[in-house]
Amino acid sequence: MIFETIIGSIKVGGESVLPFLIQEGKVPNKPVIAFEVWDMPPYDFPQSLSEPFGNALNNPLDWALKCVNDYGAKLLCIKLQSINPDTLDKNSKEAVKFINNLIKAVDVPLIIQGSGNKEKDNLVLPEIASIAKGKKYLIGSATQDNYKILAKTCIDNNHSIIAESPIDINIAKQLNILLSDAGVEPSRIVINPTVGSLGYGLEYAYSIMERARLAALAGDTMLAQSFICFAGQEAWRAKEAKAKMSEMPAWGDEKKRGLLWEIITAISFLQSGADILVMRHPKAIKAVENYLNDLLP
Amino acid sequence: MIERIKVTFLGYNKEIYIEKGKSIMSAALSCGIHLNSVCAGEGICGKCKIKLRRGEVDIQNSDAISTQDLKYGFSLACLTYPRTNVVVEIPKSSRIEPVLRQEIYSKAKTIKQVDFKSQKCDFSYLPVVKKIYLELPKPSLIDNINDLDRVLRELSKYVDINNIKISLNNSRNLSNVLRKSDWKITLTIGEYNETYEILNIEQADTSSSNFGFAFDIGTTTISGELIDLKTQKVLGAKLTYNKQASFGADVITRIVHAKNAQGLERLHKAVIEGINEIIENLISEFNIDINDVTCLTCAGNTTMIHLLMRIDPSFIRREPYIPAITFLSAIKAHEIGIQISTHGLLYIIAGISSYLGGDITSGILASGIYKEQNPCLLIDIGTNGEIILGNKEFLIGCAASAGPAFEGSGVTSGMKATRGAIEKVKIDKNLNITLQTIDNVKPIGICGSGYINLIAEMLKAKILDKNGKISIVKNKRVKKTKVGLEFKIEKNIVITEADIDNIKRSKAAIYAAIITLLEHMQLNFDSIDKIFIAGGFGNYIDIEQAITIGLLPDIDRNKFIFIGNSSLNGAKQAILSNTAFKKTREIAKQATYFELSTDSKYMNEYTAALFFPHTDKKRFQTINI
Repeated sequence: MIFETIIGSIKVGGESVLPFLIQEGKVPNKPVIAFEVWDMPPYDFPQSLSEPFGNALNNPLDWALKCVNDYGAKLLCIKLQSINPDTLDKNSKEAVKFINNLIKAVDVPLIIQGSGNKEKDNLVLPEIASIAKGKKYLIGSATQDNYKILAKTCIDNNHSIIAESPIDINIAKQLNILLSDAGVEPSRIVINPTVGSLGYGLEYAYSIMERARLAALAGDTMLAQSFICFAGQEAWRAKEAKAKMSEMPAWGDEKKRGLLWEIITAISFLQSGADILVMRHPKAIKAVENYLNDLLP
Repeated sequence: MIERIKVTFLGYNKEIYIEKGKSIMSAALSCGIHLNSVCAGEGICGKCKIKLRRGEVDIQNSDAISTQDLKYGFSLACLTYPRTNVVVEIPKSSRIEPVLRQEIYSKAKTIKQVDFKSQKCDFSYLPVVKKIYLELPKPSLIDNINDLDRVLRELSKYVDINNIKISLNNSRNLSNVLRKSDWKITLTIGEYNETYEILNIEQADTSSSNFGFAFDIGTTTISGELIDLKTQKVLGAKLTYNKQASFGADVITRIVHAKNAQGLERLHKAVIEGINEIIENLISEFNIDINDVTCLTCAGNTTMIHLLMRIDPSFIRREPYIPAITFLSAIKAHEIGIQISTHGLLYIIAGISSYLGGDITSGILASGIYKEQNPCLLIDIGTNGEIILGNKEFLIGCAASAGPAFEGSGVTSGMKATRGAIEKVKIDKNLNITLQTIDNVKPIGICGSGYINLIAEMLKAKILDKNGKISIVKNKRVKKTKVGLEFKIEKNIVITEADIDNIKRSKAAIYAAIITLLEHMQLNFDSIDKIFIAGGFGNYIDIEQAITIGLLPDIDRNKFIFIGNSSLNGAKQAILSNTAFKKTREIAKQATYFELSTDSKYMNEYTAALFFPHTDKKRFQTINI
């Protein structure tokens, strides 16, 4: 059985069967979708993706509020892009201020994802974790080479942790063992298997997730964690999602194309076991929610 | 005119004139000084440090040497180009030790050795080159056959003479020798490929002076034994470093080097030099006439045999990995510069494939795996980890590139298993470290078995996490460097996270190869009767610690049998028995090579094994770290 993980008021995981096989076992929690929000204006969103958010994109707080108020987001995934030395190199004080304001402004649980810069994340994430102490957020990402600081701060402040591995079932498991050895409860870990979008390694990611899930359901507790998949980020990286119709006339309307790209990518990962999807376009999110409601009434 | 520059090597009493633009490294090589060099002079490994005493040089930049070293006048020989006449000093750490060590088997005594005597029943005594004493009836007007036929007539009592040859030179001497010796002669007869050759004709009875050498030509070390072919006794054994180490630590770097101008020639000469060094040392120690050394057998990996024979090895490296030869019939040892008797023969133990060489065939012979009832494993841990699975019915093997870490190369404080190497480590609860070195002297580095011990102890003491990263920070032994953390063992001896990673990759390659081979044959450890551990390094491994780090499988410890340098053992059996020698050819033909690189399961097994002891804890149930 997959461990059940709590993110604020939301529960994920807990299933005893492969995705959607409700006749064969328990699926106590529906997969959830988190809206992806940055702590700075996005720099690589194509127009078709920016459009639904309008000017709100210029102010991260507005962006988050729009997701919750206008599009009904129940979970937000905050990406702390601005602390990365390669972008705005903001310090932890500014990041803490933003999260503080956000916590006051919205009432949904948060997934907080670092910038990917090891040193900076190790400085900033502990401070963020401590101001959100007890909120039971999901914070990431721990990697095989850099997990100790995040593990400790998540234990100390009662959060769950994202364990990120590079599309490798062995490393996914190794990292879970390391986190467990460091004192993290197995139910407080969520696996980010690092996926690729449609056309960019989706099948490989799918098969790795499927293998891990099969092993987990066969009793391997060190793989029996929920999956989080960054479907939006991956889908919108694809040229096929971004390119304008003026550049690629044969590919058709980019507004529809980008959406479809994100939907197909997301649904594929639901089929391979994703418990949390992080997505970008509100319409794509709506479509995937409908799909979920159809399959899991 | 090209400007010439004099380079003097302090302490060696050697100087040489080189062309301007040549490096100190090439100057050293030209006058026979071999420097340590894992990267074959590419300026990457930092092992060939020298100290400039006098003169001016140009030094090319490299990350492999610290600014502090540069400040104190050290530089890398391969990147240092003299501008004027120079005097340089070669620190001990940069030398490939020329000193022969009375190795064999001072350490291995406690370990079960495969003794030729105990296997006597298998192969009857029949040395590959024998001496036969003949007393011929003098010719007369009645018994008037020619001299050669007279010799053959007598000889037919001992060997089949239908297949015998005599060289032009020996036939020219024949009549004189016969008459001078009063028809009492000793023939030296070499046997190969079902034919015999009269190699030498001596006066009187010299049949008790027949000696041979068995050799194991390793990538890192060359071991040789002097054998009395009459009494079947090993008189002495020596070990020396393979001087090819100046051209890279592993076979691939050397194959690449062989493509350079003079590269093949240099590699060839380096290995011959090592062999001659051992021969010279042993024959002078035991007061043996070089002319009485009639043969030698050599077991070595396929690349080593190519280089020994001066055959271009380049296709071994390229897909589909085809060697020029895996076997050659006996040749006159003198032809390639080996200094034994001018008529002495060199026998090569047949190899199986590019990456399973004669050393493994020899190991199969010595371990006796080929006559076992139930499946057994033979694991030879060296720069390459070779694994053979089989019994009397089948033999299949593979080679995993383990890297030279277990031989003490490519790791910060690594060294070969010689005097002063840390071979045992104990770490207690308070992180106090107790060390044991070879010969119980002051520690100078860590050898392969020392690393296994050290890492196992660090894991048990929770200094390392299961990924091999140092997990304690606040300790005076732990230091942060540019490339990660390092842990101090002793003054100037450290283990870094990169070292641990290196060892982890080596052990994973070997363990994954074992599992993949077993699965390929649809077997598991339960069906394995014995595991033979071979390799010079194998003598010193602590089984429990090796299992703790996940190098060896967690099974009944009684199944492990150490067989020492089985390559050398096999070569010894072959020199003493032509039947054994023929058996090695049979084994080589019979064994199947399994290519790991094309097996999809191997990579998965490998990443699963990149953890201490393993990602799948169920496979290491008795290990608690």
